[in-house]
Amino acid sequence: MSDRILGAACLVAGAGMAWAAHDYAAPISYEPVGPRAFPLLLAGLMALAGGWLIARPGPQGFGSGREHFKSIGLVMAAVIAYAALFETLGFPFATAMMALPIGMAFGGSWKQSLAGGVAMGLALYLMFDKLLDVVLPTGLLSFILGGR
Amino acid sequence: MDTLHFLLGGFAVALTPENLMVAAIGAFIGTIVGMLPGLGPINGVAILMPLAFALKLPPETALILLAAVYMGCEYGGRISSILLNVPGDAGAIMTALDGHPMAKSGLAGVALSISAWSSFIGALIATIGIVLFAPLLARWALAFGPAEYFALMCFAFACITGLMGDAPVKAALAAVIGLSLSTVGLDSNSGVYRFTGGNVHLSDGIQFIVVVIGVFSVSEILLMLEQHHASTGLIHISGRKLFNLKELVLTLPGTLRSAVVGFVVGVLPGAGATIASAMTYSMEKRLAGADGRFGEGDVRGVTAPEAANNASAAGSFVPMLTLGVPGSGTTAVMVGALSLYNITPGPALFTQNPALVWGLIASLFIANVMLLVINIPMVGVFSKVLQLPNWALVPGILAVSAVGVFSVHATTFDLMLMSGLGIAGYLLRKHGMPMAPLILGFVLGDLMEQNLRRALSITNGELGILVESPISIGLWIGAVAMVVVPPLMRLRAQRIPAATAT
Repeated sequence: MSDRILGAACLVAGAGMAWAAHDYAAPISYEPVGPRAFPLLLAGLMALAGGWLIARPGPQGFGSGREHFKSIGLVMAAVIAYAALFETLGFPFATAMMALPIGMAFGGSWKQSLAGGVAMGLALYLMFDKLLDVVLPTGLLSFILGGR
Repeated sequence: MDTLHFLLGGFAVALTPENLMVAAIGAFIGTIVGMLPGLGPINGVAILMPLAFALKLPPETALILLAAVYMGCEYGGRISSILLNVPGDAGAIMTALDGHPMAKSGLAGVALSISAWSSFIGALIATIGIVLFAPLLARWALAFGPAEYFALMCFAFACITGLMGDAPVKAALAAVIGLSLSTVGLDSNSGVYRFTGGNVHLSDGIQFIVVVIGVFSVSEILLMLEQHHASTGLIHISGRKLFNLKELVLTLPGTLRSAVVGFVVGVLPGAGATIASAMTYSMEKRLAGADGRFGEGDVRGVTAPEAANNASAAGSFVPMLTLGVPGSGTTAVMVGALSLYNITPGPALFTQNPALVWGLIASLFIANVMLLVINIPMVGVFSKVLQLPNWALVPGILAVSAVGVFSVHATTFDLMLMSGLGIAGYLLRKHGMPMAPLILGFVLGDLMEQNLRRALSITNGELGILVESPISIGLWIGAVAMVVVPPLMRLRAQRIPAATAT
């Protein structure tokens, strides 16, 4: 069942790639093979593999893990929120906020996760930004830590 | 003699204080990453690669760090195999079969020390193998033209899909996805922007770091949610810490055999530590015959796979360094790391940048000695790390990954792309799709297209050039064999028991 969904997704992706790539052309061409051939070849292979999966889906479906749907959704949301707010909130604050839901999804209590996150956010910030010279955004805490 | 001269030059690079320190740090981190169930060499290398770049390490130092991490992971995997009965990485699956029974019977210290020793021998022999064979292969590969390179890359893909086992179509699909991701951005030959959707952030392509971190760090975190490994079963090391002479003599022949097999398997693209350790385990089991107690705690069942997985890790550097075509996911990540420095690995590297190549080889020797030294006395310290709870570990992994991605371009866009690729990677992995071909495709995509276009430019579009030289013909035949033979073998293996049953 789910192999068929994957196969259908591949067919759609292959068609989309072919549609996007069909008018790629070099304004002035020096070589026989232009920018279009390789993407079209890949689109064809993608569709071929998709067709195969639809015609001959494997026995196993999505596999185990249905019971984890809730925590997986939570962690996915936390990852996306972390990425989106990394710059605005700043590294130390965003990291603490991210560690709370993810730590709890991995079995920590909220106190442990929050304390761990705050410590981690500050320690990693000091290590990378101050010690190792990897510049990180400070966001909301810029009034204390400087930077932006 | 030339080789010896270059090797000495390599040691001069590897023995600088900075590189020595980096190798030690890499070995230490690698052991820990390898030990943690769920995290393997590819995750370790993927997470550290952007940091090496962000810290502005010179290319040879960065490569030494990543290589030490890789070697360290192969050492570390055995610790959790033995103490927890949960392999720390895929190469250490076989080690658990006899290592854990040994630990349960009070021989944890012996199992750990002798497996460290055989890991050392395995990596040492394989590194000597690199010194002997890599320059020869590189000299031969200098004759490769674009058509041969194109065929070689197709061969590498055929190997990695054919050997990936149960789902070759999905492995091939993963490679196609990787190749497609690599076409995003400006096509340097024609000035055409491909698949960017008008987005400025995509105009110079998807950053390699973003793909690697997304696929091997973010998706790994999601997968870890499902494997609730209980660290409660951790066995405390007690009794004798070191193996004795009798055990050493008993295991040495098997260790040496397994090291050689592991090296050869490691050199082949696609095959790797997992296959090497499984092969040598069953080989030693058969050779031991009736007097073996394999599965119940035979020392030889610990040493053989450990020698093999370390040897194959070192062996996998050969195709990467000499041909520029990595044969495994981990070395593919290293090629990507070098491309951040605008270095394209390949046969020319041996003559153009000997400091890099030989510095790396020399540091493999040094990192190996360091690993032996830290792994025997400090194994108790490492086993403490296994008690680190996931609620503290996982946010740490995500934070360090995000720092790595952010350090490249400092854009939120890259972080969002990382999350998206991570979630997509997770869904694909849940469908049984391996990620190593994807990363190989992403790394090789540009090279593959360029070589195809260059080859066809020579003949003005005539496809015949792709199968003109004996080398390319051989590679194409090999590629077809790699795709066709394993399914046939499986079919036969299924038929034979069926036939004997009736």
